[in-house]
Amino acid sequence: MSLTAWVRRARTPEPAPVRREIAVFEPADLFDIDIKDDPEASPVLCCTDDPAGAAAFNALWLKRIATSGRYAAAVSVRGQGGTPAAEGGVEAFTHDVVQAAVTVPRQAVLIGHREGAAWAALAAGRYPAAGLVLVSPQRFPKQPPKPVGGPPILLVVSESEAQSKEAQAVTEAYGTAPLTFAGSPDEVFKGAAAEGILDAVLSWLDGKK
Amino acid sequence: MQEYSSQAAYDRGEAVCVIGAGASGLIAVKNLRENGFEVDCYERDTVLGGLWNPQNQHSPLYPNTHLVTSRSQTEIPDFPMPDDWPDYPSAAQMLEYLTAYAKHFGLSEHIWYGSEISQIDTVEGSRFEVVVKPAAGSAARRLRYGAVIIATGHHWAPNLPAYPGQEDFRGTVLHSSQLKDASRLRGKQVLVVGGGNSGVDIACEAAVNAAGCVHSVRRDTPHLPKYLGGEPTDFALARIGGRPKFLRRFLTDRLLKGPGRLAARMGIEAPGPGSAGEEPVRNGRYLEHVGDGSIRRRGDIARFDGFDVTFADGTEMRPDLVVLATGYAPKITLVKPKLLGVEGDSPYPKLYARMFSPRAETLAVAGLVEPGVGVLPIVHWQTHAIAHWLHVRKGDPERAANFRRQVVAESDQYEVESGGASPRHRLAVDAEEYLASLGRIIDILEQEPAK
Ligand SMILES: Cc1cc2nc3c(=O)[nH]c(=O)nc-3n(C[C@H](O)[C@H](O)[C@H](O)COP(=O)(O)OP(=O)(O)OC[C@H]3O[C@@H](n4cnc5c(N)ncnc54)[C@H](O)[C@@H]3O)c2cc1C
Ligand SMILES: NC(=O)c1ccc[n+]([C@@H]2O[C@H](COP(=O)([O-])OP(=O)(O)OC[C@H]3O[C@@H](n4cnc5c(N)ncnc54)[C@H](OP(=O)(O)O)[C@@H]3O)[C@@H](O)[C@H]2O)c1
Repeated sequence: MSLTAWVRRARTPEPAPVRREIAVFEPADLFDIDIKDDPEASPVLCCTDDPAGAAAFNALWLKRIATSGRYAAAVSVRGQGGTPAAEGGVEAFTHDVVQAAVTVPRQAVLIGHREGAAWAALAAGRYPAAGLVLVSPQRFPKQPPKPVGGPPILLVVSESEAQSKEAQAVTEAYGTAPLTFAGSPDEVFKGAAAEGILDAVLSWLDGKK
Repeated sequence: MQEYSSQAAYDRGEAVCVIGAGASGLIAVKNLRENGFEVDCYERDTVLGGLWNPQNQHSPLYPNTHLVTSRSQTEIPDFPMPDDWPDYPSAAQMLEYLTAYAKHFGLSEHIWYGSEISQIDTVEGSRFEVVVKPAAGSAARRLRYGAVIIATGHHWAPNLPAYPGQEDFRGTVLHSSQLKDASRLRGKQVLVVGGGNSGVDIACEAAVNAAGCVHSVRRDTPHLPKYLGGEPTDFALARIGGRPKFLRRFLTDRLLKGPGRLAARMGIEAPGPGSAGEEPVRNGRYLEHVGDGSIRRRGDIARFDGFDVTFADGTEMRPDLVVLATGYAPKITLVKPKLLGVEGDSPYPKLYARMFSPRAETLAVAGLVEPGVGVLPIVHWQTHAIAHWLHVRKGDPERAANFRRQVVAESDQYEVESGGASPRHRLAVDAEEYLASLGRIIDILEQEPAK
């Protein structure tokens, strides 16, 4: 984050605070003695523009991430799931993601889905994420901020999105080639496509540790 | 770290040594690590958080200490405080915050507690040898580092006035940092000396806890409440700073008019806190206590006399307890004064851009400023600059030279005019100017290298 960007933000009224719903799944919650919390592995925080918010990641994602030894969390931004609606738009959603990130016990990897990818990228411009994963980004900012602390960045899109304007813009902004998955972009939360994405993301994360 | 003998210094290569694990030290460790440096941080106490930790043996916290800077202006830029915290968090919350920061970024594993640094010296050109004061019965350890950042704070050595007759005074005299517990005020006639934030806060505590409270100040200084125009004061004033120049004066005057008139009504004739003026005291309760008589203001003390104190205007009182809220003297003894730019008659450091040693390229000090705004964000950008500087210095001689020129040129631009004589005023900077200067320095350091 640049000093000027911070000065500007510090002079802007903060979005109204809301009680945010945060779903958490820890390796210890799995009651499986073979799965250990890996203290070296960064926790993960997910967000999506799906109206279910955090709950969307409950079907499969959080448990699968926890199984890999990572603390897994997802946040409902204002107006999603169990988080009350409040004014603010993209700026406030980004604020919600940053606020959720700092409650995670250790430096977190941010995973954003669709518009959630845009919020995650904006959040990474003011919070030093341990990694940034953008899944099928939509309404992505034209000039995303430079991520604080230079985290590794992964772009994951369905085969059908690989040539999309959005994917190309992200590739250009960060210089990361997209990883593609087979299946529909709307099947990211469960089913075969979801399994595929998770495998790809988790093995990428393990490689970055 | 391996074992090392007492004779040979253990060589930590290009690692950086950070001294102190208060807010400034923690931010330094985090930002250096983020920039790829190995870091060892030494803390003389057994806890982190510096002065915000009441378990720190020397903590200067007094009863009911709360921030005077608001949450959004105090939090570290890349690690906000929880947004359901109050506008002015307590000292306990400040410690909770710093502890969470350390945990979040895994800083503790780089901190060596119970390790006071007694001395640092330049060796082999730009490297440093660091001496860790021995615990009882063991030998001193010596280590070598590529660079050193001093983050030892400047609120540890009380600045104590001496008045005629003070040695024979029959009541109790404490420095503000020794007060600790409000019960010490109960039922007492209390005299509070010093018109800084500590003195004014403690006078308010005495106004509600003590049998009587007299507040002695040697001169009038600007006062502000904690809220202005429905917003935290520092936030409201900072927002005006973002407006076009021709509007600022007008908006500031309008905002400060009411508080200025109230202060004048209470007999405080001080210039309003202008853009480059001295840091105002921020307390919304104080003037009300003066207004209801629970705080009685007096001028400077003339002398102590047995049980009594006489003020410059000739009035007298008989205090049971005198609290000297007369501030602190910055004191850095672990390094040769020359390396901090202490020269001639002035005992005060003269650092480039208030952080870089003018003598050693690999020595910097974090947090040795009184910016009148939140200190943590300032230290964040300072250490950001220091970390980048250490990179540039190694890899890009041309930019390093540019940078040196820039910091030298920047160094005199943010002095603050102040009528104050106590040590704090020598560390004061105009926050707006200083941040702008830090911005320029960082820009130079971050320019893409010419291909
Ligand atoms: C009463 C009070 C209220 C304040 N309120 C505010 C406020 O509202 N807002 C704000 O922004 N600022 C406030 N401040 C300013 C405060 O200084 C900063 O907020 C911040 O705590 C400074 O942190 P630091 O790390 O620089 O210093 P410190 O907190 O003093 O930490 C220095 C650390 O270095 C260690 N150390 C010292 N010497 C050695 C050595 N030789 N070897 C090893 N370790 C050593 C000490 O044990 C300590 O842990 C206040 C200060 C005081 C005194
Ligand atoms: N709640 C908070 O967040 C909070 C609370 C307390 C302190 N702080 C911060 O901590 C730092 C220290 O504050 P502080 O109030 O302890 O100290 P300070 O700001 O240095 O104030 C010391 C006061 O004592 C006076 N003084 C000094 N020597 C004197 C003498 N010989 N005789 C008479 N008066 C004398 C000074 O007068 P002159 O100005 O004329 O020299 C000044 O009014 C400041 O940065 C402050 O903002 C914050």
